[in-house]
Amino acid sequence: MSGLQLQALLPIITLSSLILIQMMFIAFARNLRLTVSISVIALLLTALSFFPMVDHLPISATPLIQLDGFALFYSGLVLLGALMVTFLSYDYLRDQGERQDEFFMLLLLSCLGALILVSSNHFASFILGLELLGVSLYTMMSYPTRGLFTLEAALKYLILSGVSSAFILFGAALIYAIEGKLGFTELAGMNHTSAASGQFILLMGSTMIFAGIMFKLSLAPFHLWTPDVYDGAPAPVTAFLATVSKGAIFALALRLFTTTGLIDLDPLLRGLSFVAMVSILAGNLLALLQDNVKRILAYSSIAHMGYLAVAFVVAGKAGGQIMAMEAASYFLFAYFLTTLLAFSVVTIMSIADHEVDTTNLGDYEGLFWRRPALAAVFTATLLSLAGIPLTAGFIGKFYIFSIGVAAEAWLLMAFVVIGSGIGIFYYLRIIFAMTKAPRTDVKIEIPTASGWVAVVLTVSLVLFGVYPSPIIDLIGELMISFG
Amino acid sequence: MTEAVMVPMEHGLALAAILFSIGLIGVMVRRNIILILMSIEVMLNACGLAFIVAGARWGAADGQIMFMIILTIAAAEVSVGLGLLLQVHRRLRTIDIDSASRLQG
Repeated sequence: MSGLQLQALLPIITLSSLILIQMMFIAFARNLRLTVSISVIALLLTALSFFPMVDHLPISATPLIQLDGFALFYSGLVLLGALMVTFLSYDYLRDQGERQDEFFMLLLLSCLGALILVSSNHFASFILGLELLGVSLYTMMSYPTRGLFTLEAALKYLILSGVSSAFILFGAALIYAIEGKLGFTELAGMNHTSAASGQFILLMGSTMIFAGIMFKLSLAPFHLWTPDVYDGAPAPVTAFLATVSKGAIFALALRLFTTTGLIDLDPLLRGLSFVAMVSILAGNLLALLQDNVKRILAYSSIAHMGYLAVAFVVAGKAGGQIMAMEAASYFLFAYFLTTLLAFSVVTIMSIADHEVDTTNLGDYEGLFWRRPALAAVFTATLLSLAGIPLTAGFIGKFYIFSIGVAAEAWLLMAFVVIGSGIGIFYYLRIIFAMTKAPRTDVKIEIPTASGWVAVVLTVSLVLFGVYPSPIIDLIGELMISFG
Repeated sequence: MTEAVMVPMEHGLALAAILFSIGLIGVMVRRNIILILMSIEVMLNACGLAFIVAGARWGAADGQIMFMIILTIAAAEVSVGLGLLLQVHRRLRTIDIDSASRLQG
């Protein structure tokens, strides 16, 4: 292995060794502040360790890992998400008794899994990353001892995620049986096998992988777990699940389907269009019926994954690939900022409550009079989710729209427009609830770390909504070295 | 001579598919959490079998390595599952999944 390849593995090595160091500290010198500081240092060092290789992209280190601009961008998003969730969880867990340290180790492990996923180029690293991400996530969900809901959410997620992993594995086995290869690059052009029986098994295999990934991304009709898990899991963990976990899996799916050429498979592409339309419609319509902020956010994330799937469909059409990947990347960036901000507000609201998270719409009534700043931040988030101009969410949605129009996917575009229209209604419902007369005068404390997270995210939300070109240029530059 | 005792790959894959379906049906039908975890294990092992069958066709070690990875994953997954199961049992005195369902559909 050459020095360059070793360099490409440096982020993974850095993060793993810092996790070990953190474990030692937890074992011998248990101190929550220290553990959290090590987490933050680990994430920052990992981010730094990407810089030396920027000029040498793309690098393939072993057949398993492929580092290119695409992987770099998503790794950055993953690290950003993990850093924010670390701060949020610190405030959330601090006053909940002793022994909260291991949570932060699990968070780093999960982040390691996500980093492996976004740069994986082989089914083996895909599965390893996926499970590292998943298994740590179930444990994180059930970690805080807050009533039964967390336990139920973790159990539900574990069972469904186990089933979807099995689907992905079986699909991979079928593809391996026909092709004899497991690397994504080696599998390129595999859908051109001539034998009819082989063709059938390949289609079965890709469909199963496709179904497994849709499960993890909570696209309709595989979305049934989403509201329950979002509702039951502790707010910071929900933020992690909604952003880092889904973002990493989306990046992997994009790489898998474009490099192997599976995206050209006609039945699959048609299935994907269908899934995108159903997700947009189901997510937005079902959100109308909810009175619980976390469940509304869950359904809204189903709809957002539907918008992302539109980019996926366009990527499958001839000539649209790079454009679609840029659009998906910006959309996901905006989604990260917005969702993290939304859940940081929910976290701040929930800290005082030790039994369940504060998520009923009624609890948010009068927030504008009780805590104007918090309400303003939440309003900005909701407007960004709805895709109102001057927020990052608007640019993301606009991007999706423009590639859809360029690819002349009119039916899909109709669904995006209708979905966005319905969306505005339930986002505004929350905003109206916040302007009502307050029910209580209990003061909401805003802890320092979460407060800063909210400030940083709000500023970037508005900044990149007004002036998005730095990020767009960065994405354009990074996507060139894809492959 | 060796040709006569070779099992065709399709048969192996079919067996794996049947096992996989049994596991899937188990997950959907069973209400006992232990049995659900066992069904997931059956599904994962069916994937392992499929990988071994495919590996045998190509005469490569990849399939067996994937099987070992699957074993590890299944162990990790189920151990977390059993940990959660203990928690559920301690709080509810039952391991029926419907009684643990408090969140509305």
